[in-house]
Amino acid sequence: MNNVATEIVLKDATTSLAEYEAAGGYAALAQARALTPEQVTDELITSELRGRGGAFFPTGRKWSFVPPKNTLPKPHYLVVNADESEPGSFKDNEILSRVPHRFIEGCLITAHAIDCTNVFVYIRGEYSGPYEILVGALEELRDRKDIRGDVTIVVHRGAGAYICGEETALLESLEGKRGQPRSKPPFPAISGLYASPTVVNNVETIATVPPIIAMGGAEFAKLGVENTRGTRVVSISGNVVNGGNYEIEAGMSLRDIIYDLGGGIPDGRTLKAVVPGGSSTVILTKDEIDVGYDFESLAKLQTSMGSAGIVVLDDRCCIVQLGIRFSEFYEHESCGKCTPCREGTRWLTAILRKLEDGRAGEHELDLLLDVCDRINGKCLCPLGDSDAIIVASYVAKFRDEFVAHIEEGGCPFGGASSLDHVLAPVAMHTHSPVAEVPA
Amino acid sequence: MSSPELVTVTIDERTVQVAKGTGMVETAAAAGIEIPVFCYEPRLGAPVGACRMCLVEVEGMPKLQAGCTLSAQDGMIVRTARSSPKAAEGQNSTLEFILVNHPLDCPVCDKGGECPLQDLTFRYGPGNTRMTFPKRTFEKPIPISPLIALDRERCILCYRCTRFSESVAEDGQLVAINRGAQSVIATFEDEPYRGHFSGNVTELCPVGALTSTQYRFEARPWEIQDVPTVCGLCPVGCNINATTREGKVKRILSRNHPQVDEGWLCDKGRFAFVHLHARDRITAPLRKAGPRRFEALDWDEALDLVEEALRRGGHSTLTTLSGSESVEEAYALAKLLRRGLDANAAVLPEEVPDALDAFRAPLSSLRDAKTIAVVSDTPVVERAPVVDLWLKAARRAGAAISYGSPDGRVDALVTDDPEIAASVEATNVYFLPLTPNGRGVADAWSAAGDGEPVDVKPRVLVISGDEEALDPAVRAVATEAEVVIGIGLFEASFRGIADLVLPGTSYLERDGTTINLEGRLQRQRRAVLAPVPDVLAWLSKLGARFGVEISPYSSVEFEEISARCFGGISYGDVGPQASLPPRAEHQPKTQKLETGSLRESVSASGGGLRLVAYKPLFSGPAVERTPELQFQRPAGEVQLARADALERKIRNGQTVTVSSNGTALELRARIARDLAAGTVRIAVDDAGDLHAVVEVKA
Amino acid sequence: MSSLYDEIQAIRAVYPDDSESAVLPALRRAQQEHGWLSADVLREVADALETTPAYCKAVASFYDQFHLAPIGEHLVEVCTNVSCAVVGAQQVVEAFESELECRAGETSADGKVTLRTVECLGGCGWATIVAVDHHYRTHVKADDVPEIVQELRGDEQRGD
Ligand SMILES: Cc1cc2nc3c(=O)[nH]c(=O)nc-3n(C[C@H](O)[C@H](O)[C@H](O)COP(=O)(O)O)c2cc1C
Ligand code: SF4
Ligand code: FES
Repeated sequence: MNNVATEIVLKDATTSLAEYEAAGGYAALAQARALTPEQVTDELITSELRGRGGAFFPTGRKWSFVPPKNTLPKPHYLVVNADESEPGSFKDNEILSRVPHRFIEGCLITAHAIDCTNVFVYIRGEYSGPYEILVGALEELRDRKDIRGDVTIVVHRGAGAYICGEETALLESLEGKRGQPRSKPPFPAISGLYASPTVVNNVETIATVPPIIAMGGAEFAKLGVENTRGTRVVSISGNVVNGGNYEIEAGMSLRDIIYDLGGGIPDGRTLKAVVPGGSSTVILTKDEIDVGYDFESLAKLQTSMGSAGIVVLDDRCCIVQLGIRFSEFYEHESCGKCTPCREGTRWLTAILRKLEDGRAGEHELDLLLDVCDRINGKCLCPLGDSDAIIVASYVAKFRDEFVAHIEEGGCPFGGASSLDHVLAPVAMHTHSPVAEVPA
Repeated sequence: MSSPELVTVTIDERTVQVAKGTGMVETAAAAGIEIPVFCYEPRLGAPVGACRMCLVEVEGMPKLQAGCTLSAQDGMIVRTARSSPKAAEGQNSTLEFILVNHPLDCPVCDKGGECPLQDLTFRYGPGNTRMTFPKRTFEKPIPISPLIALDRERCILCYRCTRFSESVAEDGQLVAINRGAQSVIATFEDEPYRGHFSGNVTELCPVGALTSTQYRFEARPWEIQDVPTVCGLCPVGCNINATTREGKVKRILSRNHPQVDEGWLCDKGRFAFVHLHARDRITAPLRKAGPRRFEALDWDEALDLVEEALRRGGHSTLTTLSGSESVEEAYALAKLLRRGLDANAAVLPEEVPDALDAFRAPLSSLRDAKTIAVVSDTPVVERAPVVDLWLKAARRAGAAISYGSPDGRVDALVTDDPEIAASVEATNVYFLPLTPNGRGVADAWSAAGDGEPVDVKPRVLVISGDEEALDPAVRAVATEAEVVIGIGLFEASFRGIADLVLPGTSYLERDGTTINLEGRLQRQRRAVLAPVPDVLAWLSKLGARFGVEISPYSSVEFEEISARCFGGISYGDVGPQASLPPRAEHQPKTQKLETGSLRESVSASGGGLRLVAYKPLFSGPAVERTPELQFQRPAGEVQLARADALERKIRNGQTVTVSSNGTALELRARIARDLAAGTVRIAVDDAGDLHAVVEVKA
Repeated sequence: MSSLYDEIQAIRAVYPDDSESAVLPALRRAQQEHGWLSADVLREVADALETTPAYCKAVASFYDQFHLAPIGEHLVEVCTNVSCAVVGAQQVVEAFESELECRAGETSADGKVTLRTVECLGGCGWATIVAVDHHYRTHVKADDVPEIVQELRGDEQRGD
C-alpha cells in the first residue's frame, strides 16, 4: 500500500455550505429522503458499516433496533457522540472542523432512517473550535428548510469528563445529571434519552453515512477487508514525524501507517511499542506491527482498533511510567459509581508508583496482576476494565522491564524516560479539592 | 388482570418458579438463597448496579453479572458464590475493594452489630488486607444537620442516600460531589439537610456513615428492644419500631407497611419522640395556683376536684377533643361524659363524611393511578407527609397530576376538604384529615351515647389534648367557662386557661388503636411506661364515681366499641400490619360540586391571590420540644404557581412583597408545582397579619 | 436584576419541559459571566433552574471544566497525557511554572493566569496541546512559553 489515503469522509473539506453543495453536498440527503427509513437502514446494513466510536457495533443493525412508533409511542432521538476524549484520538475534532456539513448531512439522513426530528450532538466541552465551526455550519442552514426538514439539531456541550463518551453516561450528562453510566439493559435503542428510543452514534460513523448513501452500501462494502469495511480516520500521535489524522482504507498495515503516513520515528530513535486504538487498547510491541489495521487482524493479537488513536512510543518510554500515566488517567476519569473501578484504578496507580520508585518486591507484581484480575470483568462499564486490561498487557509484554524496576530498586531509565515525572491532573487538586487528612 | 407468566429459574442447582421479570435477588430469595447486596434497594427505583456486591454467574454470559440488575427469564441458570468459584471471587473482590478505604472502626460505630457491611464481610470477605497504602481519612463526623452525622470514612459510596434524596423525597439536598475516588456525600456548603424525610437516609445507609445524632453512642444492638407500633403524629399512621433501652425510647425506625408507608418515615415521626422527656411534661395532676402557675396535686385530691367540677357542669359540660387520643381513650372519656353526665356537647376534631368509605383504598394504590387530582390548600407534605411520597412515586411512574379542579373523572383524588372529597368524581378518594386520629375519636364519641347536646352556654369545659388547648378558638371558649379541665402532656399548653389538668400519655406510652386517613384501624403498643398512670386507669376510677363502667384495659374498651363501629373485630386481630377494611357500599351522589368555582372564587373577586396560611408539619407541641428539629421550620417564603409568577414577572428565589390592605411582608418567592393558579401559600407563622386575599409584587 | 436568569430561561426552552438538561449550559453560562462558580452563583443558577444549589454543585463538581474556586483572568491548560507527554509536555508545564512563578494547579501571584495540567485534549498529533482560555495552541514547545505568558500579561498593559 502506498501512503495516499482513501478519502470519502474527509474528501472535499470545506466549512462553507455553498462549497459543500457545489461539490455535490446534501445530494445524498435528497437521495435518502426519497427512500423509506427502512430502505436507508437496509443500505447501511448492506454497507457493513460498524461504529467508529470504539465498540464497533454494526450501525444499520443498531438503527433497526429502534421500535416503531406504533408499538412504543414515544419520540425517537439521535444523539451523536462527539465527546472524543480517548487519549490518542482526535479524529472527530478534525471531521467536525473540516467537513461539518458532511457530518450534518449524516445527522439528517440518520434522523430520517430512525424517524426522528430531534438530534443532539454532545460535544466535549474543550472543543471550542469545532463547536464554533459546527454552530456556524448549522447557522448557515437556518433558512434552508429544504435541507433541515423538520429536524432540530441541538449542540450540547459537555464540561470535561471522559466517561461522558460512554453512551449511557453521555445520556445522563445530556439529561443534566452527573455523567455516570447506567446499567444495561435497557439499551438506549429502547430506553435512552428521556427514557425514549435513542440511537447513539459516533461523529465519524455519522459522517460516513452520506458517502455510503451516495455510493451505495454495496460499493462501500467493497472498500476495506472482511469484517472491517470502508475507511477509517486514524489519529497518529506520539513519537512520529508527522502526527495527524489520515483517512485510510481499513486493512492497511500498521507499519505503513506509522512509517509511511506518520513518517516514522523522529530524532533517530527506534520504535518500542504502539498503542493501536487509543489508551484503552492492549499494547503492541515493535515486533507486532506487521498487522492489518482491521478488526480481525488486531483481534488475533488480543487488541483492537478502538477509536483509532495510534500512539507511537519510542525507546525512551518507560513502560511502568506508561502504566502509571494511563492508570492515573483512568483513576482521574473514573466516575465513582461502581466499586472496582473507583477503588481499583486508584489501587493500581499506587502499586505502579511503588514499583516505579523501587519500593516494591516481586510479590507486588503479582498483587498488581491480581488486582487487575479483580477489576476486569466486574465493573459497571468498560472504563475500569480498560485500565486493568492495559496494565496487565504491559506486564505481559514488558515483564522484564517491571522486574528490572524491582531488581534495580528504581527506574532503569534513571530519569531519562520520556514520561519521567509527568504531572497528571489526578495529582493536582485544582478542582474542588477534598479535605484529605493524611492517615 | 391476567395472572403473570411464570418462569423457571435455576439457582445454585435449585429450581424455582417466579413471575417473569422478578428481580434476581428476590428470585434467589424464593429459592432460599441470598444474593448479598449493598446498593440494591427496590424502594429507590430501578436498580443501579453500582456496588457490585451481588455478582453472579449466568450460564451463557461470559462476564459476571450484577444480580440486582437481572430479572428472571425462563430457563435462566444462575450461580451465586455458593456454587460458582468465579462468583465467589467476584464478591470477595468487591469486598476487598470496599474495605480498601473503610476504617474498620466497628467497635466505636453505632452501626456495629446491625451493619450489612460487617455481616457480609464476615460471610464473603477477605480475611486479611493487602492494601499497604494510607486509607483516605476525613474530618469526622460532619453534622449534615442537627439530626444526622456523616462519617465520610465509613461511606462505601453505594449512593442509597443520594438516590433517596433525588428520587424518593425529591428534595435535591443530599448529593454526591466530585468524581471518582474523590466523591463524597455532602449537602450544599455548610447548610443542613433540610427536608421532610431526611432521617430515612440513616436507615438506608448500609454502614455507619449516616447516623442519627440522637442515637449516637446511645446503645449497642444487643441492649435494645424494638417495639412495633404506629406513629401518632399525623393522619398517615406510619408503622414504626420504637427502639428502647432501659425503659427509654432511643430512636424510632420505620417498620415497612407496604400499603401505608413503604418503610418511609417523616422527620417529625422519627425525631420528635424526645417530647416524652420535655421539661414541662406533666407528671402529676395540677391545679391552677396563679395566673401562669400550677401546683401539683395528689391523685385522690385531683379526682375529687374533677368529680366536683364535672358535677357542677353536668349536662352543660362541653368537651373538645384533639384527635390525638386513642380510640379507647376517646371512647372512655365519651362514656364518662355522655353516660355519666349526659354531657353530649362536644367539639370533635373534624367531620369525615361517611360517604368516603365507598372510595376507600390503600395509599399504595395512589402510585398506580394514572390521573390524580390534588385539591388541597395545605401542602400535602405538611399535613400527611408520606402521602406526598406516594404522589411523587405516581408522578415518576407517569401519572398526570392536576392541582386545583380536575377536568373529568380521575383515578384518585387527594384533598383536605371533606366537602370536595364527597363531590369530585374519582375512583379512589384520599381525604387528608387535620389530626392523627380524628376519625377514630369521632367514631368513639358517637358510639358512646346518643343523647342530644343541650343548647346552653357551657359551664365546664373539658379540653383533651395539647393541640386543642393551644387552639385560639378553644381558648376563647375557655375564658367563658366557669371551670376548665385539661388533659395533656405539657404544662405550657394549659397555663393561663386550665383550672385543673390531668396528665395525658403520649402515643408511645399507651396501648390502643387509631384510624388513619385511609380508614385503616391500627394498633399502637406501649413502647415505654409513661411517667404517669395510664389515662384509662384514672378514667376508670372517675367512671366509677359516676356509675359508668370503664375498664382500665384498652382491650376491653376496644371490644365494646368494636362491636358498635368496627364490625366486631377483636383487639388481637388488629395485627402488627393492619389491613384495610373493605369498601362500603357506594351511595350514588346526588350533586356534583364544581370544585373550581369553590376554590377560585375569592381570587376572581378581588383580582388578588388567595392566601393559604398553612400549618407546617414541623410545628406543634412535640416539635417545639425537640430542639434538634427547630432548623426544619419553614424559612419565610411565599409559594406561587408558575403562571402567577410569570404574570407578575416574579423570579424564583426573588424577594417579593406580599401585601393585603394595610399590611405588607417581604418574603422569598418560590415557584411551587403543587399549587393551583390563583393561590399562594405561606406558613402560618410567617403570614403575619395578612388577609385572605393578597397581592404579590416583585 | 441580572439577565442570567432570563438567559437560563431561554436555555431551558431548548429542552423538553421537566428535564434538567439545561443544567450544564446554564452552569457554563454562569461561569462565563462570573469566572467561577461561587456558592452564590450556584444559588442563582439553582433558582433560575428551579432546582437546588446542592444539585447544581453535585453536577458542577463532576466536570473538570467548572471552577469551584476562583481562577485567574486567564486559564492555561497543558495536556500531559501520553501523546503530549512523550514529546515534552512536562517541559512545557515546567516552563509555565517558572514563567508564572507558580505551580500547576495555582494562579500566578498577579492573579493573571491560572495554570493547570489536564487530560487528553484531543489534539494528540499536534502535541503539545495547550489550551489558552479554551482555545488550542498546537505544537507548543517549552521555548514558546515565555511568549505566551508575555501575551497574557501584556493584556494587562493594554488595560483591556
Ligand atoms: C469509557 C468509554 C468512553 C467512550 N468514549 C467515546 C467517545 O468519546 N466517543 C465515541 O464515539 N464513543 C465512545 N465510547 C463508545 C460509546 O459508548 C458508544 O459505543 C459509541 O458512541 C457508539 O457509537 P458508534 O456505534 O457509532 O461507534 C466510549 C465508551 C466507553 C466505555
Ligand atoms: S453515606 Fe451511606 S448510604 Fe450514603 S453513599 Fe455512603 S454508604 Fe451509601
Ligand atoms: S447490589 Fe447489585 S450492584 Fe449493588
